[in-house]
Amino acid sequence: MIEGDLLAHLAGFAGALRARRVRVGLSDEVDAATALPLVDLLDRDEVRSALRTALKIRPRDWQVFDEEFRRLWVEREAPARPAPPLSQPPPPSTNPAPRAPLPRAGNPSTAPIGVDAPVSESPDGEHAGYSPDVLLRRKPFDQCTPRDLAELERLLERLKLNLATRPSRRLVPVRGRGIVDMRRSFRSAIATRCDFLLLARRARAVEEPKLVLLCDTSGSMDAHSRFFLAFILALKRVARRTEVFAFNTTLTRLTPWLAPGKIGITLDRLASEVPDWSGGTRIGESLAEFVLHYQRSALDSDAVVVILSDGLDRGDPEVLVRAMRAIHARARRVIWLNPLLGDARYQPLARGMEAALPFVDFFAAAHNLESLEAVAGMIAA
Amino acid sequence: MNDAIREMQEGMERHGYIAEHSIATAVYLAKEMRKPLLIEGDAGVGKTEIGKVMARMLGTELIRLQCYQGLDVNTALYEWNYQRQILHLKIAERDGKDPAALEAEIFSRDFLLERPLLRAITRAEAPAVLLIDEIDRADDGFEAFLLEVLSDFQVTIPELGTIRAVHQPYVVLTSNNSREIGDALRRRCLYLYIDHPSFEKEVSIIRTLVPEVSEQLADQIARFAQGLRARRLAKVPGVAETLDWARALVHLHRDHLDVDVVQATLGCLVKDHHDLDAMGPSETAALVAAARDTAGVS
Repeated sequence: MIEGDLLAHLAGFAGALRARRVRVGLSDEVDAATALPLVDLLDRDEVRSALRTALKIRPRDWQVFDEEFRRLWVEREAPARPAPPLSQPPPPSTNPAPRAPLPRAGNPSTAPIGVDAPVSESPDGEHAGYSPDVLLRRKPFDQCTPRDLAELERLLERLKLNLATRPSRRLVPVRGRGIVDMRRSFRSAIATRCDFLLLARRARAVEEPKLVLLCDTSGSMDAHSRFFLAFILALKRVARRTEVFAFNTTLTRLTPWLAPGKIGITLDRLASEVPDWSGGTRIGESLAEFVLHYQRSALDSDAVVVILSDGLDRGDPEVLVRAMRAIHARARRVIWLNPLLGDARYQPLARGMEAALPFVDFFAAAHNLESLEAVAGMIAA
Repeated sequence: MNDAIREMQEGMERHGYIAEHSIATAVYLAKEMRKPLLIEGDAGVGKTEIGKVMARMLGTELIRLQCYQGLDVNTALYEWNYQRQILHLKIAERDGKDPAALEAEIFSRDFLLERPLLRAITRAEAPAVLLIDEIDRADDGFEAFLLEVLSDFQVTIPELGTIRAVHQPYVVLTSNNSREIGDALRRRCLYLYIDHPSFEKEVSIIRTLVPEVSEQLADQIARFAQGLRARRLAKVPGVAETLDWARALVHLHRDHLDVDVVQATLGCLVKDHHDLDAMGPSETAALVAAARDTAGVS
């Protein structure tokens, strides 16, 4: 077993990592405590390798790990200090200073969306008595009042999207047609002394597609982005394997915030996780970042990529082209939803949009709920 | 450096694997702590090779399970030999044997086909090295099942009962990162990420594995490969590709790089259409010049 002093250092180190959002569990600490006595504690590199291995630090966390490790090592070098500050519990608020929800024009509502959306809000005279759904479905988002938005979010929740239409490679038991499942056939034949009266069969399961959603949250999308996020949450509920990213000048992975346990997450909290909300746009750079860091884990031949953006890019079109080509090559289908397309006068002439179009399988409007519902068909097709 | 880790590093080198300090440390820890080692990294950096080298070093059998989408328990763990069972039953029918005895007979180890996972835990001689390759290709359901096997090293077969590991195998899992590995499985393992090798390491890998290559050529090949990796390519060449290239150049009896031969053989190294397009004669010339130039200085 290792000495208490070292153990305290280790616990402090793990705590510091956790405080900086590196996922380190108790079992990882136990592994590290087992590993440390096996290595040369005076060899900085070796201790570093061992800790990295035992605590299962992924490459994307290496930088944070190295910073914290340097701190740990410096403190170990100075044994004069009896109680290192590291052994204290990490300061409570360690997340990068909680950003205040940024004000967004036209969206004073802070009502949570998701499971506990304000369904019970009593409709007043304007809405009672007839179904405004049809009209509401066609109303462009940028003309919606906050009340309309809440209503739309309620509609979205009821949206039953059937996305599971793809045969997977996995075989599951079926009746009737399919390949013979010897294991199950044999077991049932035992009852009849090995006369195979009925053959059990297996066939390919039907699976929902893997979705990758890239949502533009820049200033030019302000009127739409709130609703897009609501749509994304609705999709996330029906398709489990969904990765969500937001981008404006940089790319932010939102998937961890949409985990199944986190019901009732508000759009405002989501928005506060995205740096530079309502800021400028660098679509090309953002998508290039996606290709560089997430493409391999998020994209495969099953994945459908949905990009929600108006294509108003201020960056270099060449960067966008390269990123779109990489995405197109790996994904099953690329869908670009453009809220401006709802406007009959619009032509996709914006430089970014023009550059991206050759790599888009479906280019569709997304200015009202009706158009979004049509998207579900494209995803499942 | 810990002596045992140095020994591990030298041992791996003797068996044809040039390991950095961090790799040797991870392998040593996995061996001592008897925990599975999960290795991630780009294609062609030598993940699978670690499993093979471990088996060679320990002088034991390498049992390999290649994962793919749709891999199920029947292929990974065990399967009954149905054809043989049916044949046996039909023959036994004539003798009018007792049904219970007959059942015990056909559900015995003789009729069991051992697949890699079961084989790894029932191997009687000594612990085997179990290499579970490209675990990211299997579905998450299989990952959950694997978790169970890796934590208890025992397998329950309804007809036979629970089979416990005779020797707990050394387990190496590799992942190409095409899918995020679940946290639960990650926690069960030790973790190693292998990056592309440094220049010095790459030279020594080439010279060890392709001894016919001259010192100058090895130097230039490694420098060229390093230059190539610094560019933004869709498919970054790994050491496996560099080695292929070195072998190709040996076959062409070259002892240095020039633009013509590089252009002719670039397909060994760059395996993407757009990357190849991007590497026109002028780009190649620049990289070749850089590779030869610095080689001349050192």
